[in-house]
Amino acid sequence: MGIVNRTPDSFFRPGVTWDEQAAMVRVDEVIAEGADIVDVGGIPAAPGTEVHVAEEIRRTAAFVAAIRARYPDVVISVDTWRHETGRAACEAGADLLNDSWGGFDERLADVAAQFGVGIVCSHAGGQRPRTRPFRVAYADVMADVLDQTTRLADRAVAAGVQPERIIIDAAHDFGKNTWHSLEVTRRLAEMTQTGWPVLVSLSNKDFIGETLNLPPEQRLPGTLAATSVCAWLGARIFRVHQVTESRQVVDMVAAIRGDRPPARAVRGLA
Amino acid sequence: MLARELTGADPVAPALRQACLDATAELLADGPDLVAVVGVAAKTRAWPPGGCLDVTAYGPGLAGASGGPPVPLPLGLGARLLDQAGYSGRRELQSVAEPERTSTCAALGARLARNAARVALLVMADGSARRGLKAPGYLDERSVPFDATVERAVRTGDLAALLALDPLLASELMATGRASWQVLAGAMNGHRSTTEVRYCDDPFGVAYLVASLRPGG
Repeated sequence: MGIVNRTPDSFFRPGVTWDEQAAMVRVDEVIAEGADIVDVGGIPAAPGTEVHVAEEIRRTAAFVAAIRARYPDVVISVDTWRHETGRAACEAGADLLNDSWGGFDERLADVAAQFGVGIVCSHAGGQRPRTRPFRVAYADVMADVLDQTTRLADRAVAAGVQPERIIIDAAHDFGKNTWHSLEVTRRLAEMTQTGWPVLVSLSNKDFIGETLNLPPEQRLPGTLAATSVCAWLGARIFRVHQVTESRQVVDMVAAIRGDRPPARAVRGLA
Repeated sequence: MLARELTGADPVAPALRQACLDATAELLADGPDLVAVVGVAAKTRAWPPGGCLDVTAYGPGLAGASGGPPVPLPLGLGARLLDQAGYSGRRELQSVAEPERTSTCAALGARLARNAARVALLVMADGSARRGLKAPGYLDERSVPFDATVERAVRTGDLAALLALDPLLASELMATGRASWQVLAGAMNGHRSTTEVRYCDDPFGVAYLVASLRPGG
C-alpha cells in the first residue's frame, strides 16, 4: 500500500504531493514500484490546522476519481475516519476505507457496507482523532488491540460489510508510546492468528525514530526491519512511503516463509 | 520522565530528576513524623503504604513493581523518590481524582496535615501538557498564563491562590496536577510558605515545577 497524501503538512516529506499533478506523478511511481494499493489521505494524523469535512473531501474525492480513470484495476484506499469523506470517496471509486482512528465515526462501516467496499478496523486506544498519546497505560496493550480490532471487525460484519473485505490494524503509535508500538510489533502473531488479514502502518514512524534516535528522513532501515518482522509474523498489507524497498523486503520474507518462489533460481541447478 | 527506565538509553531529563531528588532530601531533612505522597489517579483513596511504582503499563517488557503492590503512577514515583532518599519512616499514599472538587481537595489536604504532629507532603503534580505545537496536547495559548498563576503562587508562598484554579480550565489544558495542588493548599490551611524553586521548565511541552515549600515563612 503506497501512501499518497493530499496534505501540505504530513510528517514525512511534508507537502510533496499537495499539488495534484505531483500527486498523480507519485501515484504512477508507487504503482510502477510495485504497490498493489494506493492510499490517499487528506488529513495528517498529528494535531494541527483544522481540516473540515468539505476540505477533506475537496482534497481526496476528485483525486480518487482521477486515479480510478487512469488505473481501472488498482485498489484505491482512502485514509479517513469520517463517514462523509468515506461516502464521497466511494462515489469517486474507492475500494477501501482506511480508518486509523479506531471506529471513532461508527457510520463509516455503514458506508463501507452500502458501497460494498473494504474497511480497516484499527486500535487507537480510545483516543480522539488527531490527538497525541499522553501517558497512555495498558495492563496488556496487545489484549486491548485484539479486543478493539476484532470488536470493530464484528461490528462491521453486523453493519453489512463483506467479511472478506475487513482488515485489522494495530495502528502503531496511535494511542501508544514507543514501548507499546514495539510490543505490538513483537506480538503481531496474536493478530494474524485471529484470521483477519492484518495491515501494518510502520513507515518512518516515531517509534522507529525514538528507538534509533533518528529523524524521519533517516528511518528507512528501521522501517524495513520492522516490516520484515511483521511480514514474518503474517501481516498482509504494509502501508509505506518507500515502495521499492518495502516490496523487496516483503517478497524476500515471503520466500523465506515459503509463501513465494524465488523470481529465478538456476544457481547450482543447471 | 522521572522513571529512568522508561526513557531508554538516553537519560533525557537528568536535571529534572536531580531536582526531585534534592527536593525529597530537603523534605526529609527535618525528620518528619509522616510523609504523605499525593497524586492524581482515577479515584480519591488511600493506597497501601508499601505500594510501589509499576511501569509495565507504560513500558511492556520492562520489570514490574517489586517489593509491594502496584500503585498509580504519581504515587509510585513519589514512593520511589522516598526509597531513593533512604526514607523508611511512616508514609501514606493518597490519590485524588483528577476532576475532584476544589473543596474536597482542600479538605483532604487539611485532613492529611492532621495525621501526625509534623507531616511532610510530597506532591506529585504537573502543569499544562498543551504548551507548544509539539506538546502532547498541542498548543493551547491559555496554558502559559495558567501555569504562570501556579508558579506565582508557589514562588510567593501564597498557596491559597491555588484554590482559585478552575478545574474545568485545568482539565481542558491537560494540567493534571490541579487537584493535587489544591490538596497542598488545603494542607497549608492559609499559612504562607517560603519557597525554593528547583526546576521550572517545559522541555516536552508539559510544565514541570519542582519546589520545596516550608510553611510559616
